[in-house]
Amino acid sequence: MFGRAINRVAVVASAQTKLRDAWSNRQHVDLISEAVVGALKGSGLRIEDVDFVIDCGSDILDGRSISNCGFLGAMGAHHKEESRVEEDGLWGALYGATKIGSGSAEVGLVLAYSKPSESDVSAFYATQCEPFYQRPVGFDHAAACGFQAQSYLASHSLSEEVFADVVAHDWALAAANSAVELETAPTAGDVRASSRVAAPLHELELSRPVDGAVAVVLASKRVAQRVCTDPVWITGIGTAMDQHSFAMRERDSLPACAAAAEAAYRRAGMDGPEGASLAELSASSAATQLMVLEALGLADPGGAARLYSEGSDVALNPSGGSLPADPIMATGLVRLSEAALQLSGRVGHGPEGASSAIVHGAGGVGMQNHCVFTLEV
Amino acid sequence: MDRTTSASMEMRSEGLGTTPSEHPAFAGRIELPYKLTTGRAASVFLAELASRRIVGSRCPSCARVLVPAQDFCAECGTAAEELVVVASAGSLSGFTETAAGVLGLIRLDGASTDLVHRILDAGLADLQVGQRVAARWAEEAQGSVLDIVGFAADDAPAASEEVRPLSDPSDPVIEQPYRLRLDYQHAYGPYYGRLFDEIATSRRIQGVRCPRCECVLVPPREYCDTCFVRTAEWVDVADTGVIKAFSIIHLEFVGQVREPPYIYAEIVLDGAATRLIHTVGGIEVEEAMERLHPGTAVRAVWKDGEPVGTLEDIVYFEPVFDD
Repeated sequence: MFGRAINRVAVVASAQTKLRDAWSNRQHVDLISEAVVGALKGSGLRIEDVDFVIDCGSDILDGRSISNCGFLGAMGAHHKEESRVEEDGLWGALYGATKIGSGSAEVGLVLAYSKPSESDVSAFYATQCEPFYQRPVGFDHAAACGFQAQSYLASHSLSEEVFADVVAHDWALAAANSAVELETAPTAGDVRASSRVAAPLHELELSRPVDGAVAVVLASKRVAQRVCTDPVWITGIGTAMDQHSFAMRERDSLPACAAAAEAAYRRAGMDGPEGASLAELSASSAATQLMVLEALGLADPGGAARLYSEGSDVALNPSGGSLPADPIMATGLVRLSEAALQLSGRVGHGPEGASSAIVHGAGGVGMQNHCVFTLEV
Repeated sequence: MDRTTSASMEMRSEGLGTTPSEHPAFAGRIELPYKLTTGRAASVFLAELASRRIVGSRCPSCARVLVPAQDFCAECGTAAEELVVVASAGSLSGFTETAAGVLGLIRLDGASTDLVHRILDAGLADLQVGQRVAARWAEEAQGSVLDIVGFAADDAPAASEEVRPLSDPSDPVIEQPYRLRLDYQHAYGPYYGRLFDEIATSRRIQGVRCPRCECVLVPPREYCDTCFVRTAEWVDVADTGVIKAFSIIHLEFVGQVREPPYIYAEIVLDGAATRLIHTVGGIEVEEAMERLHPGTAVRAVWKDGEPVGTLEDIVYFEPVFDD
């Protein structure tokens, strides 16, 4: 179980705004309050019951420093213990679950938000690149994704055609998810016909940045069993970060993701991902999504594409995942929210009778940082 | 603008509903100058490019040669203090093409790690993993990684020479200027949008009332910060108020929009519960030090000409003295 935590920790409620290209008529605070109010609604918990608030976003994307200070009211954090995690929201959930697991709190509100439409995603990632060796030559996140894709194909003698199938699979699922605003889902042919932006990757083979906010309520066993007929238990958590210098990392695999998964499985008492009903993944490109599946142990190295061509026992990204909707800094927490909603049967998508899930979040240029949760009902 | 003849104005005055802002977005920019400290390894690497030498550092723990030179081996966590010179040619281990052009990962002869740099005079179709490339040098060195313009295909065979110790190092490049510039298009949202629409069309300042604590909040917002209750009612507040606190700014800083000295103040508008940050003017700084106090009454001085629909439409607040 989740370490030898004093308390078991459950996801008892969650909500998100619709994820869309741009919420150009709403501010961050408008999106945040919608998610927070939505998560509490019908949860059996009021804002007064929340012991602490953890929020995740990026000051660089927001265009203001310590931006959480201006968002406290919208979070319901007035005179509460509030912390900012400048990482994907799944790390906020890690922090919150650890607080509750240690017995220092009973109810935590974890939220994450993103409005990349107000900013420039490539400039955002460029600020994370090393300034002497990387930025001057034009290295950025898109280049990292391109290098990873090229290396993955070369290492496993695969054709670039495999990427479009991954994208078409996820976009079709996203189109069926009312939480994602999509007109139509592209076919694999459309994906291959989109412009090449980080060769060998086409535009649609990179994740689509979207605006949105998500809020998740975590609670101790005592509270969860009181307010919830179907608490979703956090059974394992693991996190690991690769080295900053992209050129010195493995490029055809994600060993830090594998290390994070191994830690999560170990804490959950699992030998591997076997038996999981579903997996919700965060990836910046179709290539790294295949690498995430391999790092999680859902496929052998170079074999993840077969999960799409031949089918998978584990439902992959029933929500659509991050490729059609990547609210940068909130993507991993959306995955946690989605997986919990699917396990508790509160959304229409996801496999029937699902009882356990693997949740993955990532951060940084070329997905340097990884976090894995395991859940069960 | 004449309020009574403004059709759009009447529409806005109806009920509680907000109208979408007529302002598509607020253009913001963050621009900051930096003097970045390069650190030991990078300071030597950057300096040695002028001598057309590429410097790496050797990890004493795993013996790998890290190129470009790094202060620490990220895998071992060990200080990599020994600096060495590697070849300026090597083989291509990966490549991509983005808006920045063709980029390659290059394993220089003698190096244990790859270097990311530009690939010159080649399209992707011309490239293959393992092919030989060599550095092309800039005519004039600037102490930047771009003193290597990029790497181009090269027929010369791999150097048999091992890495050499770095001898007679040049003066290190200890600092590099850097300028960060980020542009934004901030959404106003329905609440700020209506506030600024009202300022632009009728010089009217509006807030919202919290139904629980009954405070009128300016700028308006959907949720009361203290009660976390949805605000309910739009309320006009006056363009007069009182100073709650003020400071005379003499400091100059990056991004400053007014020339110092000026008076920065928190003002509670009549009818509002919140403090609005603005400036006090129409008074000399010396006199302000004598006569301004918390509680001093002020009134807005509106800008002449076409309003823009921001708080800049108020030039400043001027004190109103009883005498």
